[in-house]
Order: sequence, then C-alpha cells, then structure tokens
Amino acid sequence: MSVERESSRVLPSIPVGPGLIASVLRLLAFVDELPPGATGMLKFGEEGLILLESRKICWAVARSMRLRLTDILRNQSTPPLPREAVEEIYRRCKIDGKPIGEALVMSGLVTEAGLRVALFKHNGEAIAHLAGGGLSPDAFVSHSRTGYDPKFSFSPCEVLAMLGSLDDPARALAAQIELGNALVPDSFGAAFVRSDITAGALVIAVDRACDLPVCDLVEVCNWTAGLFDVAHTFDREAALARATWGGHLALVTWRAKDVAYVGVCASRAAAARLVSRLESTAKSSGVIAAAARYGGPA
Amino acid sequence: MIRALSQPLASGPGSNALDLVCASASIKTGALLDQSLPDHARERLEGLAATLPDLFGTLDPTCLDRIAERLGGEPGDTTFREILLLSDKSLHVIQPLAGRPGVALVAECPATSSIGLVLSAIRACVVDMEGG
Repeated sequence: MSVERESSRVLPSIPVGPGLIASVLRLLAFVDELPPGATGMLKFGEEGLILLESRKICWAVARSMRLRLTDILRNQSTPPLPREAVEEIYRRCKIDGKPIGEALVMSGLVTEAGLRVALFKHNGEAIAHLAGGGLSPDAFVSHSRTGYDPKFSFSPCEVLAMLGSLDDPARALAAQIELGNALVPDSFGAAFVRSDITAGALVIAVDRACDLPVCDLVEVCNWTAGLFDVAHTFDREAALARATWGGHLALVTWRAKDVAYVGVCASRAAAARLVSRLESTAKSSGVIAAAARYGGPA
Repeated sequence: MIRALSQPLASGPGSNALDLVCASASIKTGALLDQSLPDHARERLEGLAATLPDLFGTLDPTCLDRIAERLGGEPGDTTFREILLLSDKSLHVIQPLAGRPGVALVAECPATSSIGLVLSAIRACVVDMEGG
C-alpha cells in the first residue's frame, strides 16, 4: 500500500533565485488583468502556456521544466506509484482526450488531495520557469469550453504563496495553519515575511478564498508591515491592528514571531470577530498580553 | 487616574472612566493641534500622532478600490475611517475627522478597556471636535 506525502516539498527544478518572485509577480499580473470570467489559454509562444477558467489557473506548462505531472504524482507516494500503472492510464487518457489527473483519482491510485498538491506543484513550477525566463504572454485565446474541476484550479495568490513558501516550507506550513485557525467567515487572508529574496513582502501562505490581484495583496502586506514599523516607534509591543475603510470593509493584521498576517474582511462584523478571536486566543493560551502571544516586534 | 483629555473633549461620556486621552492631529505633518493639551496627554499621544503621515496616503488608493470591488463593495471611498492598534498595554485609535479634512483624532487608553466602550467614547469626542 502506498502512502501519499502531501506536505509541500521543495521542487528541485524550480529556479529559485533573487529575482524569481519579482518575475512571478510580473507574470501573474497578466492573469489578474484579464476580465473576471476569463476562460482560455495564455500563450507564451512556443515556450509554454497557462490554461485559465474564470481567471483561475487550471494548468500551466513550460518547455524548460523537467518534471512531468506523472513524475510528481508517482514520487509523492511512498513507495512511488508503479510506473506501468500510471503510464497505462496516461495512454488511455491520451486516446480518450481526458485529463489524466481526474483519471488517476478515478482509478484510486491518487486521492483528490494528492492530485491537488501535485497539480499545484506542477503549475507552480511551470509558472516559475516561464517567469524565470523573462517571458511575457503573446496572446490570450479565449474559449467557452469549461469543465476543469474548481477543486483543481488555483488563484494567482495561491501560486505566489506556493513559490514564496519555498524559502522555508516549515514556516509556511505553520503560517497556513495559523491562518486556518484565525480567519472567520467573510474574511480571507495571507501570511508574509520580509526576506532577502524580494524587495517587499514575501507572501508565504494564503487561504483558498484569497483571490486578490497579486500586486494588491503585496501592496497591502507592505502597508501593514510599515504600520507595525511606525507603531513600534511609540509602542514596542503593538501586535494587532484593524483598519476600516469604505462602508464596511476592514484589514486586520497581526504578527506571530517573524511572520505577519493580514485578514481582509468583507464586513465590520467579520473584522470584529477576527479581532475578538485573536484576543481571546491570546488570553486562553495563558498569556494575558496579545503582544506576548504574537511575539512583539519582528 | 489620569485626567488627560484636552479641554474640548473632557465632556466625552465615559472618557475619564476609560482613562482615555485624545486630541486632534494633522495627518500631513503628524503634529498635535491642541495647544491646551496637558503635558502628560501630549506625551501619550505624540508618538501616535507622528505616525499619521506614514499611515495615510502611503497605500495606493486604487489598490483599496480594487479590493473593495473584489469583495463586492462600492469602490470610491479609499480613506481609512478608523485604525485601531493593540498591544498588551494600550489601545490606540486613529480616526480621520470627516468634518475637518486633513485632521484626525488620535486616542489612547489602557488595553484592558473594552474596544466597544472606547469607540463609543471616541465617537462622542469626534462630535465635539467637529463642532457638533
């Protein structure tokens, strides 16, 4: 019996370098600039493509990438899935014109969660290669054919966070758990750090509802980082903040050790609940001070 | 208990019980505008007021517009209406005054205070500051 390993492991073929995140941001901005329901193919000449459905990334491929989806799927199980079984399904899918991922799930060789992780890695790697090559899309070919399962598609924010997580996967996993525990209905959020590999905030985790334009997510993260910087000039222990704008929208930001979090709330009630949850979590952990729980200045 | 409200705000209901100090400050320069503010209140608020230029106008307004749009809100209102900052010791509040463009109320009280009570007291202060 094989066991899937679904933790995010570093993909050795992703060209991690100081300029990667900036290049990825530039590339993902092309996706964000498409209209909300954009469904079709973003083409990068002969070098690769990104398939989108309702502006979510379903599939990406780059000519320069080394790992295929089947390799990732095989290798995330212990022991690796038998090559012959995977290739047989691949052959049948090619003949029938069906997506291999779904066929592998149907066969029972892979779970849905395992497929999502593998697709995430595959698409992230492809986008890293396209971005690392300094490529820009030369066309968007829209089509009306839909049918990708939303479970297996990814927002640009998710892809950005996946690539950001490679800097320290364990820290990113902990941040993902913190986000999951903290966020309330009507809110979504992101975790970020400061890192040498990018000039601004390095987004390392987002929840699945986070679907902001990547440039706006980074802008908000940068602003909240600055908020704590200036707050610490008069209160070294400031660790939680809420900023409201418009009729009912709010940003809630907090820090835990060297990671900062931002929750975007669609209502004042959600913002109040999130602040209250963060305060009560701090108190119930046996620490009266929120700042002690959240670690104070980073 | 410190009686630290500046003169025009001293009547804010519940302000003293909360040990709340507040004053008006320039968003552009970060300077406190209340000349009659007692020294101990000035000490508690000066640092907070000084952050105003860094907090307002540094986030691209079109960014807030796009976020509002994605959240199903109305774009167009891109000014922060209120910023709360919490630490284990203090609750700090910044609230731009709608009736006095370029001016914000800055307030501080102990962290043990209820946020709801503090905001109610601050709303009363805002009414005073705006001449209501």
